[in-house]
Amino acid sequence: MMKHIAAGLICLVLFFGLISPVSAAEDAPDPLSIAQGIIDWKKSDVGSSPDGDLLCDAFLELAGSTAGDWYPVGLSRLGKTDNYAGYLAVLRDRVEERYRQPGKLSAAKATEWHRIILAVLAAGGDPTAFGRDENGQPINLVADGAYDRGKTTPLGRQGINGWIWGLIALDGKRYETPADAHDTREDMIGEILSRQLPDGGWSLGGGVSDPDLTAMAVQALAPYENGEIAVGQDVHGAVDRALVCLSDLQLPTGDFKSWGTQNAESTDQVIIALCSLGIDPLTDPRFIKNGSTLLDGVLRYRQPDGGFAHSFEYDPENPTARPGESNSMAGEQTLLAMAALWRQQNGMRTLYDFRPEEGTGSGEAAYFSDEDKQTVDALPQNLTTEQYVTVTTLLDRLEQSPDFAEKEAYRQKLTAAKETIEAIQEEIDSLNARIREKLYPFERISLRDRKTVNAILARYDALAEYDRAKIEHWEDVIKAKTQIDGLLRGLVIGVVLGTVAVLLAVSLICRIRQKKRRRAREMEELAARFSEENGA
Amino acid sequence: MKKDILAVFGIVLILAVLINGTHIQSVDEYYLTHIDDITPESETVTLSIRCDAVLQHYDELDPALRSEEFVPPDGVILPPTKYVLREGDTVFQILDRAVRSNRIQMEFQGAEENPFGSVYIQGIHYLYEFSCGPLSGWMYRVDGEFPHYGCSRYKLHDGQNIEWIYTCDLGQDAGALWMGGEE
Repeated sequence: MMKHIAAGLICLVLFFGLISPVSAAEDAPDPLSIAQGIIDWKKSDVGSSPDGDLLCDAFLELAGSTAGDWYPVGLSRLGKTDNYAGYLAVLRDRVEERYRQPGKLSAAKATEWHRIILAVLAAGGDPTAFGRDENGQPINLVADGAYDRGKTTPLGRQGINGWIWGLIALDGKRYETPADAHDTREDMIGEILSRQLPDGGWSLGGGVSDPDLTAMAVQALAPYENGEIAVGQDVHGAVDRALVCLSDLQLPTGDFKSWGTQNAESTDQVIIALCSLGIDPLTDPRFIKNGSTLLDGVLRYRQPDGGFAHSFEYDPENPTARPGESNSMAGEQTLLAMAALWRQQNGMRTLYDFRPEEGTGSGEAAYFSDEDKQTVDALPQNLTTEQYVTVTTLLDRLEQSPDFAEKEAYRQKLTAAKETIEAIQEEIDSLNARIREKLYPFERISLRDRKTVNAILARYDALAEYDRAKIEHWEDVIKAKTQIDGLLRGLVIGVVLGTVAVLLAVSLICRIRQKKRRRAREMEELAARFSEENGA
Repeated sequence: MKKDILAVFGIVLILAVLINGTHIQSVDEYYLTHIDDITPESETVTLSIRCDAVLQHYDELDPALRSEEFVPPDGVILPPTKYVLREGDTVFQILDRAVRSNRIQMEFQGAEENPFGSVYIQGIHYLYEFSCGPLSGWMYRVDGEFPHYGCSRYKLHDGQNIEWIYTCDLGQDAGALWMGGEE
């Protein structure tokens, strides 16, 4: 017990020790080097080499998830070269697959579309024609997720986030809304403005203003604030009040508290908001408290490994929650904030404005290289889901590549490989569903389930080792198997012992009968002899 | 005579074994198949799953879910049930084991797909985040407190009480005021 308390105290001291600003004494580092620190940390986090791509195969497994889509945005907006083509290929495949489900990307969350729209734009793709649906029609994420989302589910189903991010996504390239759009820009702006609280902020459930949501609302309203796009609503006044609210919420250390926790990400969102308005976050007096700027506020969370922690608030009851450790979300949002700052300092468009910069050309064309051919030739005979990312990205590059002699042969090879991998994934999903359906509750497992469990085992054995790791709760199958084997063994022992007992009983009865008969015969003989003697 | 006595003894012995049961296991097998049996020595935690709040916000519920099949009339999806605590178990692991053994539907986002670095519970018993209004979703409480972090980061110890609660207003209906920032 004492040991635990001591360990807890040491942790507390460590965490509080980290709070003292590491970099305050030095000159404030520039956004690009801070961003590079995050990229390097994230590379080591996903197991990529320092010179390799962040968007490596391991990272691409996350394409289409909240953990996977923001880093590509940050990287691209910082002008970093990386494996965007591979990212787009996997993301497109995932989107097409999810479009075959009833709720498409999500039944309730329009922000799934919004995040992916921004990621597609950042990676150089076209979100208005991104892959194809079941009927072979191009998928228009901007229509389905923003202006026409309301035709299936209201944009605001998940609350204010749906309106804010719907507008940000719609303005990613200042997309036009058609005449029959369910929601126009004006509608979305109106929904956002109608939810502004009396103190100028926004929150999820009304009540106390939240810095993150307030900053995000400002990011969404920014293009309308300076009259760049005219709307018949007082956006300028609303943004002014929001800035007063944010300034009031800022802590003396330069950062913010959201949902009761002092954290890095709220500060990141405020930096992005100010940059989107063209305000310099480092010099605006409204956002310098006790000499601490927003950047000072964020840097308090920087870790020696280059990454950023979410917060330092430590719960001695639960040390596994690991505050004060580099965290993926704090890293990605700080990366975005640094991109926003860097873009502002270099006179570029704001973070979520993906219209072409002045004087930049389009990216280079995809080209299926000899190295790619070798990779295809070296694909293992027995494919596993481990090759999913490789095969998906190669097939995409092949399709975009100019024609060459063996193009059709490679296309067939890759298409066949893709189908095989898809079939394996289906088998994994179906096996997982089978286990869930058939094994529980354990108390009801009986000898009747023997065939089922053996079939599950056979299907598992047929999988490659990499794919076996994707079977959930395999230990439960082993447990069921052991239970059934035990029952079977008991049955066999019972039958054998029963047979032995019957045999013993039969032989005993026979012996007793034999003995009886022998005694009767002896008695008869004795009687005969007796009568003979008497008669003699 | 001696043989007969031996035979009788043998039969009695076999009958005794048969009556006692022939389920013979090695120690490892016994441990494996009885890992979740509650004994006086086992460390346990209690887990319950409720969705009472939905009953008060029925008009906000996704119409496809307005049925006793998804929302039990008493709001109880799993009454307080004891589970054996295994070494290193988190709130998520206990929930995962409980829904499997009770065949309750559950969908979650793995820790690696989630920027919080923790498993995120999207839906239990077909009730999902935002199924009942923009502030609805699943929350958990341990011994009456709402932790500020994900369920796969909360390591449990003996005797703790875990409640999974469906909220329709960011936890205020369940008493989690910090979610609204009113701490």
